[in-house]
Amino acid sequence: MPDETIGQHLRRQGISRRDFVKMCGVLVGAMGLRYAPPLDESGLPAHLENVRGFTSAAFIANTLEAKQRVPVIWLEFQDCAGCSEALTRSQDPTLVDLVLNTITIEYHETLSAAAGFQAEQAKEDAMKKYAGKYVLVVEGSIPTDNDGVYCTIGGRTAVDLLKEAAQGAAAIIATGNCASFGGIPKAKPNPTGAKGVWELITDKPVVNIPGCPAIPEATTGTIANFIVFGALPQLDSLHRPLTFYGHTIHDRCLRRPFYEAGKFAESFDDEGAKQGWCLYKLGCKGPTTYNSCATIKWDQGLSFPVQSGHPCLGCSEPNFWDGGGFYQGQSAPLDRPTITAVGAAAAAGAVIGVGVAAANRMQKKGVKRDA
Amino acid sequence: MNWENTLEFARGPFFQVALLVFVAGMAYRLVRVLALGWQPDRVQAKGSRIGGVAVSFLKGIIIWPFIPWVKNTFNRNPITYLAGGLFHLGLFVVIFLGTAHMLVWKSLLGFGWLTLPLPIVDWFAAGAIVAMIALFINRLVNPVLKLLTGPAEWLNWLIVFVPMVTGYMMTHHLWFQYETLFSLHMLAVDVLLIWIPLSRISHFMFYFFAKAIHGSDFGKRAVTP
Repeated sequence: MPDETIGQHLRRQGISRRDFVKMCGVLVGAMGLRYAPPLDESGLPAHLENVRGFTSAAFIANTLEAKQRVPVIWLEFQDCAGCSEALTRSQDPTLVDLVLNTITIEYHETLSAAAGFQAEQAKEDAMKKYAGKYVLVVEGSIPTDNDGVYCTIGGRTAVDLLKEAAQGAAAIIATGNCASFGGIPKAKPNPTGAKGVWELITDKPVVNIPGCPAIPEATTGTIANFIVFGALPQLDSLHRPLTFYGHTIHDRCLRRPFYEAGKFAESFDDEGAKQGWCLYKLGCKGPTTYNSCATIKWDQGLSFPVQSGHPCLGCSEPNFWDGGGFYQGQSAPLDRPTITAVGAAAAAGAVIGVGVAAANRMQKKGVKRDA
Repeated sequence: MNWENTLEFARGPFFQVALLVFVAGMAYRLVRVLALGWQPDRVQAKGSRIGGVAVSFLKGIIIWPFIPWVKNTFNRNPITYLAGGLFHLGLFVVIFLGTAHMLVWKSLLGFGWLTLPLPIVDWFAAGAIVAMIALFINRLVNPVLKLLTGPAEWLNWLIVFVPMVTGYMMTHHLWFQYETLFSLHMLAVDVLLIWIPLSRISHFMFYFFAKAIHGSDFGKRAVTP
C-alpha cells in the first residue's frame, strides 16, 4: 500500500515510536550524517526547511514519518542475484528492515510471488501508476551485442526493458559491479557486449553501488538518502556515493600498520599470514579499491575478506576481473610480452643496427675513394 | 577518461610497447657499437683477459666507492661523486630489493627473490631523491658542468626524477589519490623505458660493456688498474 505514509505503515506493522527513532539513529550512522544538514548551503528541497534545529536522528524520523513509501522496481539482467541475496539475507535487524519497510518493491524477478505474464503485468501497472516517482534498481549487466539477444525477459531484450523502465524512473540505482561497470559478464572477451547501466542511460541520474555483491548497507543507505532527502547522495567520478566509497580499503584496513612497517605475508599459510600481516604481496587490490568493506564489514560487522585472510579483489572497481591476477602483486604489469615478441623486438633492433652500420661503412668507403 | 583507465593503459598496453621499444632500442645501440669494429691487437699476451675483467668490475663497483679520496673525480668534484654514488646505490636497492619492484621482475622473469623491509628501502629511496636534487643544483652552479649541460641532460634528469618522486609519494600515500600517483608513476616509467635507448641513460648497459672491454685489454697486458 504505497499510498499510506511511512509512519502509518510502521505503526500498522507494530513498530513503536521508540524503535522507529532507534532505527533512524542507525540510519543516520550509515548515511554518515553527523548533524541535520545545513539546508541553506546544501541546496536541498525547500520543504525540509521546517526541520531546522533538529538533531540528525530526529530530522530523519520527522522526514520519514510524513513521507509516502517509495515504490521500487527491481530489474535483473545478466546477474547471479547475489546482490539481492546479500540484501535480503543481511541480518542487520534495524537498517535493512527500516528501508524494506519504507519502500514497496513492486517488481522483483527473484522475490515476487507472481510469475510469467502476471509479473510482467504488475510491472507495467506499477510503471504507469508511479510514473516519474519510482526508484529503478538494476542488478546485472546489460548485453548489447547482436541486438541484445543474450538476455531477454518475456521476449524483450534487456536494453529495451531497461530503457523503458528508466524513462519513468525518478532515480536509478545500479547495484553490484555488473550493473555498475559490466562486472564479470564484461570480463575479456566480453562475448555478450555487456555494459553497465550508466553507459546506456545518460539522461537520468544513475548511482552506482558496485561490489560483488554490493554491501547491503550501501544499497539501503543510498535508497534511504533518496527517501529522506528526495535527492541522490553526493557521488564520485564513477557515480558512487561518497559516503560509502570515499575511502579505499587500504585507507581503513586493519592490516595497514603492517604495510607501513613492511611486514608482508608471503603465502597463505606462512608465519606472516598467521600473524595477520599485510596481504599486498599476495595480490591485495586494497590500495586502489574504494568501498566500505573495511568499516561496515559483513554479517553484522563480523569480518570482511582482508580480515579473514584473503586479499581484496577490487570488486568495486571497473574491470576488476581483468585488472591483473587476483594473487599477483598489484605492482606487476597487467600482461607480460611473450618471449617471441621480445625476441622479435631484439632481432628488429639488431637488424636495423647492422643495416645502418653497413650503410655508414659504404658511405665512408665512398668518401675515401672520392678523396 | 579517469585515473582507473589511465592506470590500466599505463600498466597494460603502454608498458608492453615501452618494454619492446626498450629491447629493440638497446639491441640497436649494442649492434651499432659492435659494428664499429676493433683494431687488430698484435700485443703478446702477458696476463689473463678474464682476470682483467674481474678486477676491473670489482674495483669499479666494490672498492672505489669506499675509498673515493684516491680518485681525481672525488677530489675535483666531490658532490658529483658522492651524490652520484648515493643515487646509483639507492636506485639499485629500490629497483631490485624493493618488494613492489621485485613483484614486477617476478611477473616478467617468472621467479622472485627476498627483498628488504620497506622502511630500509625507504631510506635508500629518500637518499636517491635527495642526491638527484643535489646533482640538479650542482649542475646549475658548477661552472664546468654548466658548460657541459644542455637540454638532453636536463631531460635525462627529469625523466629519471619523475618516476622516483611519484613512486615515493605513492608508497607513502602523499597528497594525491593512490591511483593518480600509480598512473603517473607507470606513465613516467613507460616514458623512461622508451627514452633510455635514445639517451645517455643507456650507460647502464654500456658501462658494463666498456668495463669488460677495458678490463680485458688491461688484463692481456698485465697492467690491471
